[in-house]
Amino acid sequence: MTDNTTADKAPSVEELKARFGRDIFNDFDYDDPRFNEQFTDVLEEHLAHCPVARSNVGTGFWWVSRNDDVRRLAQDWETFSSAKGYMPNRPEGLPFLYPEESDPPRHTAWRTVLNPHLSPVTVANYEKSIADDTHELIDRFIGNGGCEFITEFGSILPGWAFFKNILGVPIEDLAMLVDGVEMGTFAPPEERQVHMGKVFAYLENYLKERAKLPPRGDMVDTILKGVKYEDGSEAPWEHKVSVLVDITFGGIATTTYVMASAIKHMAENPADRDFLAANPDAMAQAVEEFARAYPPIVGIGRSCTRDVEVAGTKMKEGDYVMLAYSASSRDPRAVENATTVNIHRETVPHNTFGAGPHRCIGSNLARLEIRIVLQEWLKRIPKFSIKPGTEAVYITGFLRSMRQLDIVW
Amino acid sequence: MRVSVDGKNCCGHARCWTVAKEFYGVDDIGYSIHRGKTVDVPPELEKAARLGARACPDRAITIIED
Repeated sequence: MTDNTTADKAPSVEELKARFGRDIFNDFDYDDPRFNEQFTDVLEEHLAHCPVARSNVGTGFWWVSRNDDVRRLAQDWETFSSAKGYMPNRPEGLPFLYPEESDPPRHTAWRTVLNPHLSPVTVANYEKSIADDTHELIDRFIGNGGCEFITEFGSILPGWAFFKNILGVPIEDLAMLVDGVEMGTFAPPEERQVHMGKVFAYLENYLKERAKLPPRGDMVDTILKGVKYEDGSEAPWEHKVSVLVDITFGGIATTTYVMASAIKHMAENPADRDFLAANPDAMAQAVEEFARAYPPIVGIGRSCTRDVEVAGTKMKEGDYVMLAYSASSRDPRAVENATTVNIHRETVPHNTFGAGPHRCIGSNLARLEIRIVLQEWLKRIPKFSIKPGTEAVYITGFLRSMRQLDIVW
Repeated sequence: MRVSVDGKNCCGHARCWTVAKEFYGVDDIGYSIHRGKTVDVPPELEKAARLGARACPDRAITIIED
């Protein structure tokens, strides 16, 4: 792989400001609305000319983009700890999410007992449920000749798949939960806590209720059983609730985004869509490319446990660093023709599900969900396009998502 | 040819197995059955072994040519 990415000269600060409205190398802000508009352009500029960017938001953080660096940082948990949280500028007193915001060996203790519930073998049991849910949702709008994909499908299915199969919550509670997670993620920032709080309260109550019932052998029972920590103590109740919340919020909006992006891609690329409709066995590899090209996690954070140098930048102990997984999956040093969405790639190594010990625990379920949804969708609606006169609506922060996608058939 | 799977960095993406089932296997939780080991590759499976190694997002698989 030739590195022809730095052959051209790095842009000046004036050039960056003219193009992006700010110096994205020394004054980056992922909440800047311009980032939402110029998302891939910003990622590519960082990849080409700025391996470690700086953000001055709050107490500030580093932003690392290249595949080699991101992978090494994700694997080197001793230097780049998750124990100070996955977000920069964390409000004081906010409880930590477990196991996401912890390091080995504590992190390992939880992952060891949780992993089996989301293994490839286990999630394969949910194929029929996910297929049935797909058809149930499509039945609701197929006669309309079109739909708004997010509200009518994409924001609903991942919640159903998770709450039904993994947690086993009562069906009648699904709508409220799915709505709560949706609002908790996407409502105006000042309103999100209220919705998150309601979902949190529900999950805590659900854990209490399940503790009174005979075990089902599912993830909820595993969480209730808890783990022993490295100091010999048993995981306290608060951590168990936290684990349930962590797992819940991890896989809903994220999966929605990859799914919606895949539908949009197929709406705009009929050759790919028709190929996948005719060759359903090719869908698994296509899903891998969709995951690479449309990453819902823009970046996620670590805290330096010591002074360390990364790609020429000297970081100090206590510095906050974000791993730009969205950029690292597009690094031309790691992926040929990285800016092209090519569903026929033989292998698609990417960082959408992260790297190192915090590799997304739901990655097998996410892949299964997206594959089944797309395969079943194409059986019912083999041809579709973007509704004329409309455009997909995105929002971007440390997460990227689609909020509106109007399609017609 | 031999293949070595890094015990620390194999973190259960299961991509090796997905693209090259004829050589790679995963355990009940989706981690490589060769995790932390170095194993021989039969000549007829060398291509599969290389493909699976390329598929690993963590670059946990090393190909050792004889």
